[in-house]
Amino acid sequence: MSLDESVRQEITDTIETNEVVLFMKGNRRSPQCGFSATVVGILDSMLETYHTVDVLSAPHIRDGIKTFSSWPTIPQLYVKGEFVGGCDIVQEMMGNGELYDALGLEPVEVVQPKITVSDVAAQALAGAAAEHGGGGRELHLSVDATFQAHLSLAPRTPADVEAIVEGGGAGMTLLLDPMSAGRADGITIDVADTPNGQAFKVDNPNAPRVQQMSVSDLKRSIDAGEAIELLDVRTPEERAIAAIPGAVLLNETEAARIEGLPRDTKLVLHCHHGGRSQQAAEQFVSLGFTQVFNVVGGIDAWSQEIDPDVPRY
Amino acid sequence: MALQIINAGPPPEEIAEQIRAAIAGALPDALIDVRPQGPGHFEITVTDAAFEGLNRVKQQQLVYGAITELMAGANPPVHAVDRLECLVP
Repeated sequence: MSLDESVRQEITDTIETNEVVLFMKGNRRSPQCGFSATVVGILDSMLETYHTVDVLSAPHIRDGIKTFSSWPTIPQLYVKGEFVGGCDIVQEMMGNGELYDALGLEPVEVVQPKITVSDVAAQALAGAAAEHGGGGRELHLSVDATFQAHLSLAPRTPADVEAIVEGGGAGMTLLLDPMSAGRADGITIDVADTPNGQAFKVDNPNAPRVQQMSVSDLKRSIDAGEAIELLDVRTPEERAIAAIPGAVLLNETEAARIEGLPRDTKLVLHCHHGGRSQQAAEQFVSLGFTQVFNVVGGIDAWSQEIDPDVPRY
Repeated sequence: MALQIINAGPPPEEIAEQIRAAIAGALPDALIDVRPQGPGHFEITVTDAAFEGLNRVKQQQLVYGAITELMAGANPPVHAVDRLECLVP
């Protein structure tokens, strides 16, 4: 089948301008097929960002990429302009370590993480495994590059690492891929009540947290001309009363711009007293930002300790 | 439950023959075995000296490249290749 020249050019541009490209069904947040979801899970465990192309919303690419790659199925992974393979090949490469090389990553040193599983969680996990396991499927924990945890039942792969399980779940088998294992030491798994019923609660001490910054540290950082994004999470009305010089109102446009920044960008958030900015800061941490600071005491502390010309309200 | 409509296509053996012919067109010296598995599903084994020295992706691309047309479009005769084995004689 011939490939339309404009489609060929579009695919070539995509794989040349993005180091890692996954042609898939759906997107990274909501994959629309199991094979695409599997590859997304593997890439999420290894990379913070990569480019995805949803072939369901681009039918010309859906057919075009099959001809372009001489490969009949979706998903298809390209790294540095080269076709790597589909789902089964990516899984195999994850298992034997070749994927680290292909992605230009240092192979991770395999560590056996210590994980504490509470009594209740151990019972619930055993129940789930009894109900949905079988067929060689075992309990897996993954921790992706943004430190989101996922529990699943899946066949064991040669690369899987067994956790050292402590607490009520001592002795149970819990498997992690090598990248997840490196992020999982010290995790606690418990059960918590949510509005939608009981759910597993995974507490990971390695996950980046919101750090606290005093107004004097903020002043020093501004005076030193440090590269920070200083964000004001208050309302426009409050901002009209008083504002810290250099701070930008976190409206929707601004939030969208910040979400597009590298995840190691230093974000400093303030509000009136430090409560709202703490919550906003936690949101950015959950998006994968690793340098997120909350200004303790907010603009009120700034007025009192740094600049009395900024009115208090 | 939604009712699924299955349009009867050509018999699997006929499609298997199309697959064989398409692969033979690209790899004239190959030994080709195509086994129908179910509607639209096939297993394929190809043995050819041309695979020598190629990695798994490159080997399979030689075969898939030959049968792209049978797998393209909304309702292709070949829905899925459940298993593709590329062997060096």
